[in-house]
Amino acid sequence: MSEQSDAQLVAEILGGDTESFGVLFQRYRDTCTRFAVRMLGSSSDADDVLQSAFMRAYRNLASCRDPDRFGGWLYQIVVNECRTFASRQRRRELRFVPDPDLIDRAVAEPVDDSAEPMNEHVEQALAALPVEQREAFLLKYVEEMSYEEMAEATGVGVSALKMRVKRACDGLREQLEGVYND
Amino acid sequence: MTDYRNEISEETAAFCERIAVDLRRPERLDASFDARLMESVRQEAQSLRDKTRSRSSWWRTERVLRVSPLGGLALAAGISMLVALSTLAIGSRVWSRSTGSVAAQAAIPTRTDTVNVVRFVFADPNASSVQLVGDFNEWTKGATNLKPSGAPGVWTVSVPLHPGRHEYAFIVNGTRWIADPLATKSSDDFGTESSVIHVGSSAQSSS
Repeated sequence: MSEQSDAQLVAEILGGDTESFGVLFQRYRDTCTRFAVRMLGSSSDADDVLQSAFMRAYRNLASCRDPDRFGGWLYQIVVNECRTFASRQRRRELRFVPDPDLIDRAVAEPVDDSAEPMNEHVEQALAALPVEQREAFLLKYVEEMSYEEMAEATGVGVSALKMRVKRACDGLREQLEGVYND
Repeated sequence: MTDYRNEISEETAAFCERIAVDLRRPERLDASFDARLMESVRQEAQSLRDKTRSRSSWWRTERVLRVSPLGGLALAAGISMLVALSTLAIGSRVWSRSTGSVAAQAAIPTRTDTVNVVRFVFADPNASSVQLVGDFNEWTKGATNLKPSGAPGVWTVSVPLHPGRHEYAFIVNGTRWIADPLATKSSDDFGTESSVIHVGSSAQSSS
C-alpha cells in the first residue's frame, strides 16, 4: 500500500500519472462496494455503477476542492450514482403490479438453510424501502457515518436525514419482526 | 449516536443494530473490476491527450469557419422544452436549413471533417438545475450541466457529438428524469424512457 497521502496522489494524477488513480481508488473501493451492493441489491449492478462513479471521479478530479478529503468527495459521487440507478430501478419495478399474497407467502415460507436466510429477508426488506430511506439507513447503520458526514455525502440536511433513518428503522422492524429474531 | 436514538425507540435501534451487523459484511466485485476500470482510465487519458493535440493543431492551421445554427422548439404541457440543433463545420461546406420545429430529430449531412455540435435547450421556469445525460457522457449525472441562457427559465448546453444515433434525457433539479416529449422515445432495460437524436446521418428521423 502506498504511503502517499490522498492529496499527493491527486496531484500526481492531475499531473498526468494515470496509474496513481489505481492506488487512490483502491483505498476506497471496498467501502464503496459494500454500500453499492447493499443499496442496489446486486453485485452486477454495483459493478456497473461503481465503474461509472469512479470514472466520473477521474474525469472531474480537478474539481475536488480538498484533495486531502478525497474519500468524502468520492463518496458523494458514489452515493449520487447509486441513488440515480436505484431510482431508475424503482421506476421499472413500479411498472409491475405486485401480488401481495404471493409476497406474503414468499416471506412466510420456512427456510431450511439457517446460515443465509436472515440476510435474504433483510435484503428483501431493504429493497422494499424507498430509495432515500434505504440510503440513509445504510449510511447511518452500516457505514456508521455521523449525521454531519451523511449530510456531506448526500447533500441532504441533518433533520431530514434523521427522519429518513427513523422511518427506515420503523419500516424494517415492521417488515422483519417475526422473521428476523435472535 | 445520541441524536437518532432520541428519535428512534431503544427497541427499534437495537433491532436495527442487529440487522446492521449482518449488512456490514464486506462485499467483493468481479476480479476483473480493477483492470477494467484502469483500462477505461487509460483510454480516457489517451483520448484527452489526442484531443489536446488535435485542438492545438487546429488552431495552428488557417481554416474557414462557418457556423450555421439549426434549431428545434418543442413545448409540452407544464414544461416547455426546446432542443435545438446546430452544426459547426470546419473546412467544409455547411449544409444549412432554416429553423424548424424538429425537436431532437434533425439530421445533418456531414463530411468526415465535420464536427457536429448539438445545442440542447431546456425550458422550465421551476428548474433550479438541469443536467444532460446520454450515451455520449455514459449517462453520467453531473457530467454535462446546462447553464442559464439569460432568458427566464431557459437552460442550454452545446455538446460535440459524433455522427450517428444518440440517446439522451434531462435531469431536472437533480432528481427528475425527463425525456424530450416530442422526440422519439427509447426505453432501457429498466423501462426508463430516453430520447433519440440522429446526428450527421442521412436519415431524417429515428424510428
